[in-house]
Amino acid sequence: QQKDLDSGRKYSINEITVSGAQSFNEQTVIAFTGLKKGDRIYVPGEKLSAVTKKLWEQNLFSDIAFYVTNIEGENIDLELYIVELPKMNEVSIEGVKKGRIKEIIKDNDLKSGVKITKNLLTTTKNNIVNNLQEKGYYNADVIISTTPEIDSTGIETAKNMKINVIKGERVKVSDIEFIGNEEFSDAKLKRSMKKVKQKNLFRILKRSKYTEELLEEDKVSILKKYKSNGYRDARIVSDTLIIKDDKNVALRLNIEEGKKYYFGNIGFIGNSVYTDNQLRQGLGISKGEVYNGVLLEERIADEKPDAEDLTNLYQNSGYLFSRINPVEVAVRNDTIDFEIRISEGKIAYFDHVTVVGNDKTNDHVIYRELRTRPGQKYSKRNVVRTIRELGQLGYFDPEQLTPNFKNVDANNGTLDMEYSVVEKGASQIELQGGYGGGGFVGTLGLSFNNFSLRNIFNKEAYKPLPMGDGQKLSLRAQGSSYYQTYSLSLTEPWFGGKKPVQLSTSFSHTVQYFYDFRNREADRDQRFLITGGSVGLATRLKWPDDFFTLSQAISFQHYNLQNYNTRLFTFGNGYSNNLAYTIGLSRNNTGTNPIYPTYGSEFAITAKLTPPFSAFSNTDYKALKDRRDVLVAEIQDTGGTVDTQQEIGEIDQERFKFLEYYKIKFKGTWYTQLVDKLVLRSATEFGFLGAYNGDRGIPPFERFFVGGDGLGSYSLDGREVVQLRGYPNQSLSSVDGNTIFNKFSLELRYPITLKQLASIYVLGFAEGGASYDGFRDYDPFGVQRSAGAGLRIFMPAFGLLGIDFGYGFDPILGGNQPNGWETHFILGQQF
Amino acid sequence: CSEYQKVLTGDDIGNKYAMADSLYRKGKYKKALRLMEQIVPAYRGKPQAERLMYLYANTFYELGDNYLAGYQFERFADTYPQSDSVEVAAYRSAKSYAKLSNRYSLDQKETYTALEKLQGYINKYPNSDYREEANASVAELRLKLDRKSYETANQYLRIEDYKVAIEAFENFIVDNPGSKFRSQAFLGRLEAGYRLAINSFPALVKLRLLKAKEYYNSFNKYYKDSEFSPRANEILEDINKRLAAYPTETETETETTP
Repeated sequence: QQKDLDSGRKYSINEITVSGAQSFNEQTVIAFTGLKKGDRIYVPGEKLSAVTKKLWEQNLFSDIAFYVTNIEGENIDLELYIVELPKMNEVSIEGVKKGRIKEIIKDNDLKSGVKITKNLLTTTKNNIVNNLQEKGYYNADVIISTTPEIDSTGIETAKNMKINVIKGERVKVSDIEFIGNEEFSDAKLKRSMKKVKQKNLFRILKRSKYTEELLEEDKVSILKKYKSNGYRDARIVSDTLIIKDDKNVALRLNIEEGKKYYFGNIGFIGNSVYTDNQLRQGLGISKGEVYNGVLLEERIADEKPDAEDLTNLYQNSGYLFSRINPVEVAVRNDTIDFEIRISEGKIAYFDHVTVVGNDKTNDHVIYRELRTRPGQKYSKRNVVRTIRELGQLGYFDPEQLTPNFKNVDANNGTLDMEYSVVEKGASQIELQGGYGGGGFVGTLGLSFNNFSLRNIFNKEAYKPLPMGDGQKLSLRAQGSSYYQTYSLSLTEPWFGGKKPVQLSTSFSHTVQYFYDFRNREADRDQRFLITGGSVGLATRLKWPDDFFTLSQAISFQHYNLQNYNTRLFTFGNGYSNNLAYTIGLSRNNTGTNPIYPTYGSEFAITAKLTPPFSAFSNTDYKALKDRRDVLVAEIQDTGGTVDTQQEIGEIDQERFKFLEYYKIKFKGTWYTQLVDKLVLRSATEFGFLGAYNGDRGIPPFERFFVGGDGLGSYSLDGREVVQLRGYPNQSLSSVDGNTIFNKFSLELRYPITLKQLASIYVLGFAEGGASYDGFRDYDPFGVQRSAGAGLRIFMPAFGLLGIDFGYGFDPILGGNQPNGWETHFILGQQF
Repeated sequence: CSEYQKVLTGDDIGNKYAMADSLYRKGKYKKALRLMEQIVPAYRGKPQAERLMYLYANTFYELGDNYLAGYQFERFADTYPQSDSVEVAAYRSAKSYAKLSNRYSLDQKETYTALEKLQGYINKYPNSDYREEANASVAELRLKLDRKSYETANQYLRIEDYKVAIEAFENFIVDNPGSKFRSQAFLGRLEAGYRLAINSFPALVKLRLLKAKEYYNSFNKYYKDSEFSPRANEILEDINKRLAAYPTETETETETTP
């Protein structure tokens, strides 16, 4: 019976029933709705629609409805009608490989228990078909059927899904035919098609395949080719797909080239900030040139964020609201006149600038790096630069840094900027054990890149460590049967909190025992101790530009030899002090991601100098040298006596009491993005170690060792280990090291993934380098060459891991055969 | 304890419920939680679920797992809007989010969530017993946000970017009319204006000193007798001394700042 509802009044619920439910308990459904007997509600009303919505959101039903079954006075009976969606029991997939089955299940979320909606069926089918077509299976088809799963009592409990994938043959394009092309040959047009390639035995990198989407993209490429050569009106009249057989299709493209056009007058309208001449220069297109629509577009608004186009000319000087439109105003025969219409708009200023997402890093560490600050003029370049600087900090995932424009107000000329950051693990633990250098080597390294020193005594800050103030603390201990190294360093990037002046301090101590390689025994009575520390300041410069950094440091090392006689050390019970001043100038403007830079360059030139002690000393080094030469000659002639050895030792002790030298190094690295994410890294390195006083000579420390993986295991005597793959470690230098080296390197890199969890890239390299003793031997072309390939994996918690296989084309010192293959493991080193 | 293990590994959900309940009453939340985690799915939709879900949320609350407590209480309040405990649940949910809020120098997402929840609570239960506590929490969170933007502005002063500091303090003054840091912000703007002036090219010094004097005047208008007055007066004295060095002329020119 039909009774009228009085929608303006409240009813009291008398009874609620549920119909249509199969697997749900009626009480459960009612409890879920929150409706109770005696509730006073409007029918229809807000309450009922809220309940309906809540039920819909469960994604369990295909139909939900409330019916009024009875009204008596104020009392009302409700019936909730629901139709449950069928649940999936099992899915079976045929026609594809096992691994692919798992992928399909995962991609489409085909878990058991999932509700089988129409949407699920269609998207699953489309996903699989599209995926196959993308791989070249143009004729792929998918049939999905469902069968009920019946339990022992004969009730349908769920449905089974069966997916039958008919892959078909991989379709190749056997022929592409062009009709109507006169300006460009078929071959040229085929080359401009980057996606759909004709079958060709000699092309191995890109397989021939066909999909409609790829063809659409290529049609745009073809037209682009015409448009950039004057054919403004070029169009593809028709494209025909001819199916030859299961495996082959052919394409026929009908082209109408149209006329060839030239640029006519180009006028500017609406510009007040820049003159016509300035804009014309920025545009770089002059009257009479062959019409090039693509170039015109690029010069006005390129896709690259740092392009030197007209849009950025305005965007980088505050004109956020500027709009630039080229308009064809007249076509005279084959000449097109343009008017570039500019609406400059108001200058925009940053109002509020905020950072969100920093759960660990304190505001002050981030805000000081921002290049866009309240009250400053808007500049796109500065926004890009800010993102780069934040990425370089190493605390945030560089791929997830985003500038959010907020409250952009064209009337007031203001905008708010919110930088959204995502923290990543900035601490690294290095725990290594290995067999190297004739014994077991263990390393424990901890490096906290976002440390907070002021909280070191604050118990609450330990979660698990005091973090967030941008300081870097590294602790490292390394030990083996014959040496131990301890080091500690602390870096504060904004010393004093006012200016970006980086203060770094470090301390280290090494004990090395004499090692008898034949008996594999360390003799603890023969020791060599090195203790040292350094303090340095690095300042970011404003001139020539602010990518430059000037660094200065003072370092001191004390070498203490106890009964330690080797070929290198003639003064077995002596000591040596190394007090030096290092000054360096560097420039680094490499791209946002420090692990995988895609553009920019890095230069560093450093000079390490000791005071010229001999200039103030009364010691006659000439006499000492002469005497030493005599003694050395004596040893060579007669073998010498114990006394001769000892006297040489005494002379050397005098020579090296305080080390005296100067060392100059240069390193340059360029990153060039070739195609897509393929990056070329080219680098060159050079180093020179010299003495002020020729008679006193170059010390046995601080020398260069070329060859191998470049990992300095215990390089605390100032030695510089230079990487040159394809050769054993330090095999390209003499035993005591050399005083000059140079190195050239080319490396191609391609990323496999640049996710936060792990960045992985592959690389191929060709490099050459050599070391020399003095300029007389120096020959920049007589280098040892190598080439090879490798892999790098960077994980935030472990740092860099890598492996390289290198082939050395030249013999190592003392050999005459090419060195051949070498395998290098790269750990924790970034270069 | 062995009985606990027996119940824990057993299948009887009724026993588990009873034991979880008694453990909860004794304050042994960790043990109770392990039992509850097992039975919560089984009770979903049953009449006992209301009480169980409340205990469940409360267990997280007592254990200090604010994230889950906030979520579970919120869910409870949504699922059982008719429950007697809904008011307490709504309050504890908001309170849990408030506890999650980071210190001022970090991201404040949870602070905003907590403020929204607390405000919602206060609006919905204007006469609740927790009203005062809730208001106190709101005040505390607001103070935190104030401090954040004040410290941000202050940092620009510290790194000697005076123009930006002035702008940031001005934003602070406009955005936070009732803030505790307002007097400091007025002083900060004066300090920045003053230092900008004395570090300017000679041609700009006078104009900027006059501008700084304006900043002093507005400071003095509102915070004449505050704890920051001595420093403000000190600056004024120096401004006047420096201005006195200029020959008197018409003082109508003012600097045009964007």
